[in-house]
Amino acid sequence: MSSFDEIQQFVQAANRVTEFEELKNLLGSTVRSLGFDHYALFNHIRPSTSKEYPVRLHDYPDAFGELFREKGYLHDDPVLVACQKSAVPFTWEDVPQLVSLTPKQKEVFDAPKLAGISSSFIVPIHIPGESTASCTFAMRLGRDFPKTSFPAAQYVSCFAFEAARRVSQRMVTKKGRVFQRAVSPKLTRRQLDCVVLAGRGKSDRDIAQILGISNQTVHQHMEDAKRKYDVATRIQLIVCALFDNHVAFADLVN
Amino acid sequence: MVDVVTANNRRNFRPVLDGMHRDRKQVFVDQLKWDIPVVDGQFEKDQFDNDDAIYLVATDPQRTRHLASVRLLPSTGPHLLGDVFPYLCEGEVPRGDDVWEITRLCSSPARDFDVKLVRRRLATAMVEFALLYGIQRYTCITHVPYLSYLLAVGWECEPLGMPQTVGDSLIGALSISITPATLQLFRQKMKSRVPVLQLDHIAHAA
Repeated sequence: MSSFDEIQQFVQAANRVTEFEELKNLLGSTVRSLGFDHYALFNHIRPSTSKEYPVRLHDYPDAFGELFREKGYLHDDPVLVACQKSAVPFTWEDVPQLVSLTPKQKEVFDAPKLAGISSSFIVPIHIPGESTASCTFAMRLGRDFPKTSFPAAQYVSCFAFEAARRVSQRMVTKKGRVFQRAVSPKLTRRQLDCVVLAGRGKSDRDIAQILGISNQTVHQHMEDAKRKYDVATRIQLIVCALFDNHVAFADLVN
Repeated sequence: MVDVVTANNRRNFRPVLDGMHRDRKQVFVDQLKWDIPVVDGQFEKDQFDNDDAIYLVATDPQRTRHLASVRLLPSTGPHLLGDVFPYLCEGEVPRGDDVWEITRLCSSPARDFDVKLVRRRLATAMVEFALLYGIQRYTCITHVPYLSYLLAVGWECEPLGMPQTVGDSLIGALSISITPATLQLFRQKMKSRVPVLQLDHIAHAA
């Protein structure tokens, strides 16, 4: 079968999908026939504040998925940030050039190799007004990318994500209410202290003085907290923290 | 409101069309850096802006300002996919009275109007136009990353071939099917049941 025949078949099948399980099976078999080993299709929403349905489809080995969940890697995955910075696909190796990795992000960056994944080809998906998403095509150790399949992989990403969006919309309608939310990002005690003080209008310097830590540390806490919530500004961070009841209005207005 | 501009009523839309070519230059040449011709240093115009071209143009109520537009070309005549990028199609380039090509979809870079709403209206106009004129498929060429957005808008896209690298972008040819269901979907998204196409100004050769 030519790659075009495969893509056509994939598109037709994706259009008929009505459940996530069907989409997972379809993605699994297509991805492997293109020469990749694993796939992951995720949208990067903040689970607690978004009305969008979380799309978390993958066929990584169970141990790998467990590791990610256990260590909370999902929130510190530098791929999320890299996707926001790139309209075009990139590989795992490109990530440090797109994102200056924090120690936590570096930990996440090194993790796949420990789990037997040598690299991945990541296709960012940008839809205005919606959270960034990505489709990842991963390779096991000792296996090289099937580079000739990269264009096909991009089409697979777009059509697969659209199928996932369609299934999500049906799920929201079916349940008639916003679906069950996942756990909200966990802020450390120190991160929370900084957020509360920032919410009270304190500058980094003030916060550093009040908490007895350096300016740099305060800045780092704020950056880490912003990353966990996947936001760009402090205002957004404070609003998210309020939403999640990590911080109460009483803490800020007093 | 979206107007249908043809060779026969073009003279009534001079300022709007000038605005369109100026905005096309700003978007496609200045911002996106496409390697396409510019006339008089300000207008983006090429050989496909000919007498067969039909433009759907969203304007202000006075019909003096270009807000957004798209160029439609019959597949039976010269068009981008058939003449410049036939290799993007795995098989024959789709041709027929019911197949038209979409190119130069553009919204004004000015941001003093509701861009999202205008884009939705233009998309709905494209569907209305297709149903009125018996067009069953639109063909187009797109940068692959843009495909996710097209699918999210609701267009029923099918690849016509594998995407290819042109310059430093990956582009692909698509076929977009138009049915009455498409119109229903778009009207639902716009929360409106009123036609968007302005039909009283259309003039065609008999």
